[in-house]
Formats: sequence, structure tokens, C-alpha cells
Amino acid sequence: MSVRRKGPRATIVRIFTYLCLVSVAVIVVFPFVVAFATSTKNSQDIFNYPPTLIPKEPQTVDPAEVAFPDIDADEPLPLYAFPDSDTRFALVDNDVSVAEFRPLDDVDRIIRLDVTSGEKTGEVVIIDGAEEDVFVIEVDGINIEAYRSRLTSGGQFVSLDDPTDVRVELVNVVEPLQQFGPRLENFEEVLIDKELGRSLTNTVLVTIAVVSGQILTSILGGYAFARIKFKGSGSLFLLYLGSVMVPFVVLIIPLFQLMLQVGWLDNLSALIIPFMFSAYGTFLMRQFFISIPIEIEEAALLDNASRWKILWRIMVPLARPAIATLATFGFLYAWNSFFWPLVIINSGNPDGRVLSLALSTLGGRSSTDLNLVFAGAMIAMTPPILVFLFAQRYFVENSASSGLK
Amino acid sequence: MAEVTFRSVSKQYDGGGPKAVHDLELDIKDGEFMVLVGPSGCGKSTALRMIAGLEEITEGELRIGDRLVNDVPPGDRDIAMVFQNYALYPHMTVRENIGFALEVAKVKKAEIKARTEEAAEMLGLTEYLDRLPKALSGGQRQRVAMGRAIVRSPQVFLMDEPLSNLDAKLRVQMRSEIIQIQKRLDTTMVYVTHDQIEAMTMGHRVAVMRLGVLQQVAHPQELYQRPANLFVAAFIGSPAMNLINVTLGGTAERPTASFAGHTLAIDEGAIERYPQIVDRIGSSVVLGLRPEHFSMEGDFDLPDDQIVEFKIELAEAMGAEAHLHITLDVPVVELDGQPVSAEDGDETPLSTTKIIARIDGIHFVTSGENLRLGVKTHLAHFFDPDTGLPLS
Repeated sequence: MSVRRKGPRATIVRIFTYLCLVSVAVIVVFPFVVAFATSTKNSQDIFNYPPTLIPKEPQTVDPAEVAFPDIDADEPLPLYAFPDSDTRFALVDNDVSVAEFRPLDDVDRIIRLDVTSGEKTGEVVIIDGAEEDVFVIEVDGINIEAYRSRLTSGGQFVSLDDPTDVRVELVNVVEPLQQFGPRLENFEEVLIDKELGRSLTNTVLVTIAVVSGQILTSILGGYAFARIKFKGSGSLFLLYLGSVMVPFVVLIIPLFQLMLQVGWLDNLSALIIPFMFSAYGTFLMRQFFISIPIEIEEAALLDNASRWKILWRIMVPLARPAIATLATFGFLYAWNSFFWPLVIINSGNPDGRVLSLALSTLGGRSSTDLNLVFAGAMIAMTPPILVFLFAQRYFVENSASSGLK
Repeated sequence: MAEVTFRSVSKQYDGGGPKAVHDLELDIKDGEFMVLVGPSGCGKSTALRMIAGLEEITEGELRIGDRLVNDVPPGDRDIAMVFQNYALYPHMTVRENIGFALEVAKVKKAEIKARTEEAAEMLGLTEYLDRLPKALSGGQRQRVAMGRAIVRSPQVFLMDEPLSNLDAKLRVQMRSEIIQIQKRLDTTMVYVTHDQIEAMTMGHRVAVMRLGVLQQVAHPQELYQRPANLFVAAFIGSPAMNLINVTLGGTAERPTASFAGHTLAIDEGAIERYPQIVDRIGSSVVLGLRPEHFSMEGDFDLPDDQIVEFKIELAEAMGAEAHLHITLDVPVVELDGQPVSAEDGDETPLSTTKIIARIDGIHFVTSGENLRLGVKTHLAHFFDPDTGLPLS
């Protein structure tokens, strides 16, 4: 039964509650949004300042559509905007010689023109102690006297609307035009070129093996501890449970020694087999099995079902919520596990790498390709989210008591 | 179908304590409806679970038919049990629940279907066959539990307080249905209950147990009329039999029972059944009077010395009858140091005895008035206060 209060005071309280919740939600979700946005950006876009959440790419135009002779480009031409014009300009050539002129009456102003423009008047001026030729240049239809301060290389821009409007300017001072353009090739690139695909396969393999192993052993162990009476079951269970309290760090060296003896160093077996047994999972399953009314099992015993049949036909279906919980935790643990693979798998063995290792390598080596690092992170993040979405309905399911009064 | 035989069966739980079942001797006949009844902790459920094989037998022999089953696992005993909380498999539909035992027994699918549907038909569950237990009402779940037992055609049905989770109306209905099903299948049935009305109405015979010891096994009517001891007398009947500590007096021809300032003549009928009364004149005995042994003065032709004036503390008009609550200033009758009729939460002071008289409903009685009631002492029971056994 839901209680819903009414009245202005309740409304204020509710608004305040929602504000708090929403702001916390935003804070929590924001890093994910940034990561996702970055993972779809191209390599220039990631360094744009100010950074944006929406991935952008340069606007371009097909060279055939630009009415300008002698374009020696097959690639689409990038578009730029000049502050004094509404039309878009295509960069037809980004390696032309550019002359920088400074008008004599305003030497701080820089006018960049094609190197062939301007006519020498033959006069000379002295600027900062150096002799400079005086040129007459035409700017907006007006002739101005100026001297040429330097020669450099820049881009030649043509207006899309007015092919006669040809300008020369340094490329980096013109504003490039951008449009929404996610770069989904990042994912492909990171999977294939950066060899994340192999790591992904390894991780999936390890995770499936670990999770199914944990579920199987926890069900068997949990059921035995819950329902089968045997000598010393109580103390054995305490001992088992006690092992949960031992931090993993303590086990690293002995476990490493063991792996060394067995010959599983640099081998995926070392990531799978020691983790197929879970004291925590056994405990979880035992607690759940104990909570299932004993009468259900007794009824099955009277129906002449064997222990094995009771376990798989009655107890396990009833324990679905616990199994889903165990599977989710096991999955997250196996999927995210980093330190143990780091210890076991040689750094020079990309074929043995799991995702967490590959990601850290990627972050170290390709830190300039942030978009790829984030693309890798997104790939690593998606399966756990999907698993959680799938499993969460079992968390809230309350099943075992429904067969009773 | 088979008989069930207990031969000095005892059950001792691990960790000591008194025996849950003590030296139980009980013959349940083939096709009989046997009710085990008693207060909680009397061992009736343990006895039932021993038949089921869910409790180990510490001592003695238990036979189903001719077969000694002490060490036979539950599944091999060919019995079916209905649990108090039904114990349906929550994740299986009604059909799967009923058919599970057959499935385990590797019966052919077509036969499972036919037998499941037949059982469902008998219980009126046909339209619910594909539902899950959680979508059923309490009564329907109860029927599914019955169906699960019926479908196997077992040798013995065991029922562990199957109606205690139902509301009163449904309980009455299911009671008669269970009786009819048992009659129809003619299968031996052992039925455990703490409700003596169920015991009285359902069983061919009723076994009353107390503290692990069988008190009496008899036809319900005989239990009521000839209780084997104080416990059975107090347990069977509702309202319970009034048990009063009295002192016998008077003459051998016309003995009397005195209690709390009242003196009541004991009629011949009682002396015929309990001739020892005469020998016990002057000593204390326990007088047992059923509520219906009282009557309004004038309703029956009773001599004056069988009429006593009581102060009515509380009069409950039930329609056809009225229950009159009376407190007597005599110490309560005890059995093994416990007030014999004490129920849970009953805080009657031990120095007084509460009795209930049942009179015809046509009389209008108000609480607090003094009333002269006739007592049919020829029907009264007399018990030895020390042994709890009836006077011979």
C-alpha cells in the first residue's frame, strides 16, 4: 500500500526530494556520459576546447561541387567560416604561399594575400631599422600602400556561393565548420587494431567459466550445508565461512606458488580454476536453501524424489533469486578482476590478456588516443550493465514463500 | 491400502529431554479414518511423521501392512501426506504439482495427464490446472495438496492439521469433503489435529495423546461418554467437561457431593456405573459434569436435592442454548501439578474453579443473577483425584 500525502507542505517536500535525487543521479551518471561521448569522438575532437558532450566532425564538401579550377584533391574539402562573410569557404589548397602585408598607416594590421598579389611601387620604407619595399595592394576594392612583413604558407579558401571570392589565410586562424559526427569506427579500431577483441574473448571465457563453476559448486555445497546432516558439518561450515574473512592480498603469494607448481603461470586456467569455488557463494546459497520450508522438501521425499532430483527440480528453481545474485556478483568480480591477471599473465603475452589488463595497457600506451581508451572502456562496461539489467528483476522477486499459506 | 501398526514405538529426539512419543501401541485398521488428537506437544505429529518416515523411530516396530518400515525411506513407503502449510512446489503449476510424484515414478506422460485430470476433477480443480499455487486461494491450495496425495493411490494417507490454515467456514466444508474422499477411496487415513471438533466429527476412531503417551483410542462417541481418564474427559467436548473437586457424603442409598457450600445428591444411574462411590463416602473425588448435564429448574423432573443455586457470572446467549459461566470457590482440579483444563493464556486463579452450564436457549438469563439449576447427576462422571482414572 502506498501512502501519498497531500497539501502544499508535502509538495515542497516532494520537490525537494526529487531535486536531491536528480542532482545525485546527475553527478553519478555524468562520468558515464562523458566517457560515452568521448568514445565516439574523433582524434581531433577530443582535444577541442571547450570540450563538448556531442561528438563533432569537420563539415566537408565534395571537390566536384566547388567551382574552382585545378583542385588536386580527391578527398572531401573541409569547410571554414570567415568572420566577415556568411558563406562557407572550402579549403581548396592548404599549402600555398602567403604574403603578409602591413598597411603603412596601420602597421599592426595584418593582411594576408596570395604571394602574387601586390605591386611594388619602387619606394622603400624603414621599419625597425630595416628597409622594406612598398607595395600597393587592393583590399575590398581600395588600394592601400603596405609593406610585406613576411612570406609563409597557408590555405586557399573559396566561397561556395561565390567562386570569385578566393581568399588566402593561415588555416589555424580560420574557424573550421563542424557538424554532429560520431566516430563509431573507434570501436572497431580498438577491437581489431588494438587487439582488444582477443582480450574480450578471454574475459568472456574466463567469466563464463568462473560464474558457472561458482554457481555449480555453491549450489552443491550450500545444499549440503543446509540440509544434509553429517558429522562436523557445523564446524566445517564455520571454517569455510571464516575463509571469507581472509583478504585476497594475503593469498596472492601462496596462490602464485601453487600456480607455479601446477604450471599454470601465464595461463587462463590460473584465472579460472582457483575462482570456481566461492565460500561466499556457498554461504549465500546455504542461507537461501535454509529459508525454503522443509515441508516442501519432505513432500518431495514422500513423492519418492531422490536428493539429486529434489535439488535440481525443487530447490534450484526456488533459489533463482539467490542464484541471480550470486551470478551477478561472480560476474562482476570475474569481469573486473585486474590484480590477479596482472600477476599471472606475462605483460608480453597479448593472447593471454584479459580486458582489464588490455585496458590498462591501452591507457598507458595510447593515452593520446583518449577516444580509443574510452571506446575500450565502453566495451568493457556494457556486458556488466546488461547483466545487471537482466538479473535485477530476480533481486526483487520474492518467490519461495508463495507456495505456502 | 493397508493397516498401520505401532508396536511399543518410542521417539527420543537428539539432545535428551522426555520422549516425544512413549511406548505407542496403536493398530490402525485397513480403510480406517484414524484421528490423532491432543494439545500441542503431545506427540501426535511426531507419530504421524514416523509413519511418513520423516522421523526416525528410536525404539519399537512400525508396520505398514505386513511390512516392517522402521528403516524404509519415505519415498518407498507408498504413503502420501498433506502438510499443514500444504508444501506445494511454488514454481510448478497445479498440474505439475499433482503429477510430480508420477513423474518421479516415470509413469507415461499420457497416464500422468489422465490421472492428474481425474484427481483434479474429483477436487474441482480442473479449471485451475495451469495456475501457479500463488494464484490460488487457501482452500484451493489445500485441494491441490489433497490432489497430490490422491493421484498416487497410496496405501495410507497422512494429514497433518490440513485445515488449520483455513477460515472457519471453509474448514467445515473441507471437513466433509475429506470425509467423503476417504469414504470414496476407502484408503487408510491418519489425520492429526489439535481441534477436538475435527476429531469428533471426522474419525472412525480417535486416539487422544498427551505428553507422548496415548491416553485412549475409541469411537468419538465412546470417548465422549466414557473418557478413560481426567485428561480425556477435559480434552474432549466443547465447552469442556466441568471438573470439580468434591467431597462425597450422605448415605450409601443417597450419596452426595459437596463443594463450595453446595450439596448435590448423586443419582442411582451414576452409582450403577461407579459403584465405588459408596465406598468413598467421606473422601475427596473429582466430579465431572458436562455442560449439558445442567438444566434450568423445572425443565426436567429432577428431585429437589439435585437442584443447586448458583450465582451466574456471565450468561452467553447462543441462540439455541445459553452458556452460563459460574465460578466455584474450590481449588481447581489438577493433573500432574497442572490445572487440568488450562489452555494457553488462561489465567484462572488456582483457588477457584470455573464451570460452564448449558441450558435451553428459551430461558432469558442475565449476568449476575442467582439461578437454581438442576443437575443430571445420573450422567455424571467420577474420577480418582490422585490417579486421574475413573472410579470403578
